[in-house]
Amino acid sequence: MNIINKAFLKLALLPSPVYDRMGVDKSALTAILNIKLTMDDRRVSGLQQAQRKKSDKDVSSATIITMVVSAVLGLLYLMAFYIGNNIVTGLTFYFFMFFFMLSATLISDFTSVLIDVRDTFIILPKPVNDRTVLLARLLHIFIHICKLVLPMALPGVIYMGVKYGIASAVWMIPMILLLTLLAIFFINAVYLIILRITTPQKFQNVISYFQIVFAIVIYASYQILPRMMETKGILEFDLTAYGWSAALPMYWMAVGWQSLTSLTFTAESVIFLFASIVVPLLCVWVVVKFLAPSFNNKLALINSSADGPAAPVTLKKHKRSGIAEKLGTILTKGNGETAGFLFAWRMSGRSRDFKLKVYPSIGYMLVLVVAMFLRSKNFSLATLADNGKEFKIFMIVGIYLMSLLLVTAISQMVYSEKYKAAWIFQVVPLEYPGEVILGAVKAIVLKFYVPIIVLIAIPGLMIGGWPALPNLLLGLFNQLLIAALLVYINFRNLPFSRKQNANLNGGSFIRNMGVMLISVFIAMLHYAAYDILVVVCIAAVLSMIATWLITGSIRKTSWAKIKAEQDA
Amino acid sequence: MEPIISIRNLSKSYGTKTVLQDINVEIYPGQVIGYIGPNGAGKSTTVKILCGLLTDYQGTVTVNGLDVKTQTLDVKKQIGYIPELAELYDVLTPNEYLQFTATLYNLEKEVATQRIEKIMAAFGLEANLNQRMDTFSKGMRQKVLIASGLLHNPGIIILDEPLSGLDANSVIIMKELISRLAKDGKTIFYCSHMMDVVEKVSDRIVLINGGRIVADGSFEELKQQQGDKSLEQIFASLTATDSLSAAADELAKAMESRS
Repeated sequence: MNIINKAFLKLALLPSPVYDRMGVDKSALTAILNIKLTMDDRRVSGLQQAQRKKSDKDVSSATIITMVVSAVLGLLYLMAFYIGNNIVTGLTFYFFMFFFMLSATLISDFTSVLIDVRDTFIILPKPVNDRTVLLARLLHIFIHICKLVLPMALPGVIYMGVKYGIASAVWMIPMILLLTLLAIFFINAVYLIILRITTPQKFQNVISYFQIVFAIVIYASYQILPRMMETKGILEFDLTAYGWSAALPMYWMAVGWQSLTSLTFTAESVIFLFASIVVPLLCVWVVVKFLAPSFNNKLALINSSADGPAAPVTLKKHKRSGIAEKLGTILTKGNGETAGFLFAWRMSGRSRDFKLKVYPSIGYMLVLVVAMFLRSKNFSLATLADNGKEFKIFMIVGIYLMSLLLVTAISQMVYSEKYKAAWIFQVVPLEYPGEVILGAVKAIVLKFYVPIIVLIAIPGLMIGGWPALPNLLLGLFNQLLIAALLVYINFRNLPFSRKQNANLNGGSFIRNMGVMLISVFIAMLHYAAYDILVVVCIAAVLSMIATWLITGSIRKTSWAKIKAEQDA
Repeated sequence: MEPIISIRNLSKSYGTKTVLQDINVEIYPGQVIGYIGPNGAGKSTTVKILCGLLTDYQGTVTVNGLDVKTQTLDVKKQIGYIPELAELYDVLTPNEYLQFTATLYNLEKEVATQRIEKIMAAFGLEANLNQRMDTFSKGMRQKVLIASGLLHNPGIIILDEPLSGLDANSVIIMKELISRLAKDGKTIFYCSHMMDVVEKVSDRIVLINGGRIVADGSFEELKQQQGDKSLEQIFASLTATDSLSAAADELAKAMESRS
């Protein structure tokens, strides 16, 4: 255990005479906290989950990494102080970002770190009284939140201290504390709502959708906010002029902070100050009194599908031919291909791991398209419709950026946490594993090609009209080509058959870069040929043929090739 | 002799579903109870009640004269529980994990350290004592779990499928250990699906089905009641509703069927 955890442990155990009087077993409390903090140190936290990698090296200082990441996030929030022409507006945005990010982190941590279902089997059968277990859990949550909040708040507090003096820095601290309470209440409420509308078994899935949405929103805010800041409006934005701002708890806190630091109290500011203190405390009271008891019981059910009576078995009639089966039979030939297609189609829709990694990129693409529109000032639908240079850039950048989506999906397809289950492909009499790979690739392409068409082809055609069609087709064919190339060069592996690991070997990194370079090269060629209709048409046909040829080779991938990939 | 575990009129239901119905068992010190039944018969619910994990049941359960419902902590102190596979904090090392368990059982540190070293050495894991368990095989994890249940020298040991994942030699060690411990006067509550092992280690077999006890007695007694059959056959005749060989027959036919 590192110094930070030791210090937190000491701090948490300071009021031990009080604990004694409450009837808490001190040595058990210390032991539980000690073990929990040690485990925290070896686990990857929610903040890093997006790029979670299982490296061969043991994680042993996750705490420090978490704290550094929170501090960096805290620095980013300082951006908010640029917004608006007065400090209350800026501070409201600061508090808002703080609240949002803290909630985003805690929402996944609550299930993965703070509530461990294994406790039921490990701690509960031991002679430890309930109070000790409860207190240990509360202190663990407290320490965990401190680890996030303290470094996160530090940059803001320092900034305030430097800019407005010590007193204003000091007053930041209670405000951030109140905000944290509010975040805890918010998460509790979200959890309860999710638990009400879904079963505990599906809970993890819903939480991962939340994580995906959070990731996209965060990405969007960092893409779009700085651009918006360049425009003048945001600098002169004054939140205090709007009536609706009174509904934001972050606004109350900002106003409260201002009247505390400047020691000027108006009737309005006193009300806001009062509200900013009372509402979070009220929320905590609601959590303790009403939400927490049922909360713990229900959380205990998460993951413990084996517990309690099994869900009533409803005999589901197997749908004879769902959309996947129909598409599968149309688009694939041979049993290996069909099997691969259906397998990848279903797995990509159900594996939480896959969704967590690929779905955000769909959102990122959407954000990028929006950001592109915002980027240049003379970028309007009217100039686009002229089919001039702007439209050309829009089409090329749009189409080839979109291919990132396919690339992400395809490169993620070979990985799975349940990679060991891929033995099934090894034992069945399959001459060319390439058939399964091709089927799987077809499924993934189909699934992630549709959003590309929706995002690019439809607006492209609407704005550019029929003249844009040949170029669109070429672009779309080229994307298939890039996808096929990527599989051929770098991901000739059975779907969901490999363990994700961080140390991508040098060779495959270079090959990945190679594929990226090829796609950039194709994009440039396309741009150069954009206006020459004949070339575009010929290129489109060539691209189709090339794709078809590569597809054929993927189909013929042998076991020896797969073995070589795995050993590499 | 006073029974060490006494279960009287025990019933338990989840909502409208009854899991245990009027269970009555008295267990005496030094007995090895083989607790068997098909999936969903209520075995793990019984175990959870005995360990003090579930307290909202009807009836009385006492351990060494202590009521499980009201004197839960004192009961827990006397029980060593070895749960089914994989329920451990695998980012820890065996040493850290076992020391942690020992503290929760209020064991002195020196005593704990000594016992941990000795138990792990007996299992041949002394070299892995300070390695994180996430790389451990099934059998190694199971050994750590067994160690964590025996560390505080409990009078009653509850084992839930303890042999899964163990290699043949470790199985022999465990079987010998169970009879050794019983000879020392410890009571062993053994839940398993492996009929041949249950037949050999237990001196009394309790068979439950659908939340009720359908057979209770030594293997010899069961044989007298049910005819001279193996435990596996007795189990089948008491719990299976349909003929098992008919099911096997259907399976074999299903493989050959053509649409």
